[in-house]
Amino acid sequence: MGALGSGSSLLSRDSAESLAAPAAKGLPLWAAVLLGLGAVGCWLALYVNLSRMARWLTYTLLGLPPATHFSSAVEFLIFEVPKVMLLLTAVVFVVGIVRSYFTPERTRRILAGTSESVGLVLAAFLGVVTPFCSCSAVPLFLGFVTAGVPLGVTFSFLISAPMVNEVALVLLFGLFGWKVAAIYMTTGLVIAMASGWTIGRLGMEDQLEPWVRKVRSGGNGEPVVVLGWPRRLRFGFEALRDIVGKVWLYVVAGIAVGAAIHGWVPTNFMASFMGRNVWWGVPAVVLIGIPMYSNAAGIIPIVQALLEKGAALGTVLAFMMSVISISTPEIIILRKVLRPRLIAVFVGVVTAGILLVGFLFNALL
Amino acid sequence: MENAPRKRIEILGPGCARCKETYRVVQNVVAKEQLPFDVEKVESMERMAELGLMATPGVAVDGKIAVSGRIPKADEIRAILAKS
Repeated sequence: MGALGSGSSLLSRDSAESLAAPAAKGLPLWAAVLLGLGAVGCWLALYVNLSRMARWLTYTLLGLPPATHFSSAVEFLIFEVPKVMLLLTAVVFVVGIVRSYFTPERTRRILAGTSESVGLVLAAFLGVVTPFCSCSAVPLFLGFVTAGVPLGVTFSFLISAPMVNEVALVLLFGLFGWKVAAIYMTTGLVIAMASGWTIGRLGMEDQLEPWVRKVRSGGNGEPVVVLGWPRRLRFGFEALRDIVGKVWLYVVAGIAVGAAIHGWVPTNFMASFMGRNVWWGVPAVVLIGIPMYSNAAGIIPIVQALLEKGAALGTVLAFMMSVISISTPEIIILRKVLRPRLIAVFVGVVTAGILLVGFLFNALL
Repeated sequence: MENAPRKRIEILGPGCARCKETYRVVQNVVAKEQLPFDVEKVESMERMAELGLMATPGVAVDGKIAVSGRIPKADEIRAILAKS
């Protein structure tokens, strides 16, 4: 993977900037490549040796007695925090660069030129890589609809963009392994496509606010500029500073909570009301999660704690998805362009999808 | 020299923290260099759609989008304004 510079920029904000600056000012190519390879090398060396380093730090340097609860909690913490942070920096950096290729304008052009069935699938995938923030939901929605992107395809994008989140993906991968991460990504994409398809079938174009239908999109948005590699790298570093700077605290806190409650809360504490045999667990958490708003990084520590204490994977997955996909603020913003019936259908279809995922995984796993 | 018609810079966004930061960056550049521009916050969705803006915060100079979906750097704004 091309995780250039992620290892070294983990150290501090300043080193990310000092690395970004020479790249932007036209460092000679060989030097940039060397720097990049060095960074990837450091990253790999760190990642591969983490578990050994954690053990050494815990038992040799700190001299903690082996096989006690406290020392295993310390080892867990020393191992998990750098591991997740390493994964996070690498993925955020790479996604930052990938996103420099997928501006909303470009995504719109791609989606406006395909048939609805292809568009539904494409939109869900593009939702993952196109930069998106729920505060931009309305301009984006208008941009798509006025360019002739079908309503269902637009919703497929609008659902997948927040739901399939790269930070959540990395954290799930780091903490629970690739299977949970893959399940999360696949079901998120499928819910987006299926919801978009359903909304498309219902023919709800008359459920847009009247002024939306009158909008004539005047411009084509940001002029298309061809970005060079220095610019793209800078996008990567900016994403790194933005996202990792914002979420590292949640990550550390989450893992610390995970390490701390390890022995003190009974393992089956959550099983009685979030276990797989509690049929009302899934609808209950979705009902709580839908109006809530939190970013993916904020919710993962909770996911960690719930799973640790015996909550079922399907229930936890449903909770997580309902929190990060739809929220009250987003609905209030969307109300400016959508009439209540379409909002209700949007919320209803996504909720149904999440419920299905929850029940399915509780039944299967 | 100050008599040239003043141009309009629109800072487009629903009023989130990132939009305010963008406004601050642009306002700073204009104030510091005493450029003949009026800086204005625009929260109207209609206006964003009209301009074709798809990601906020956005900056439009003279009705043309110059920045979309991110907080610009002061240098960038200086370069954009020098060109208009």
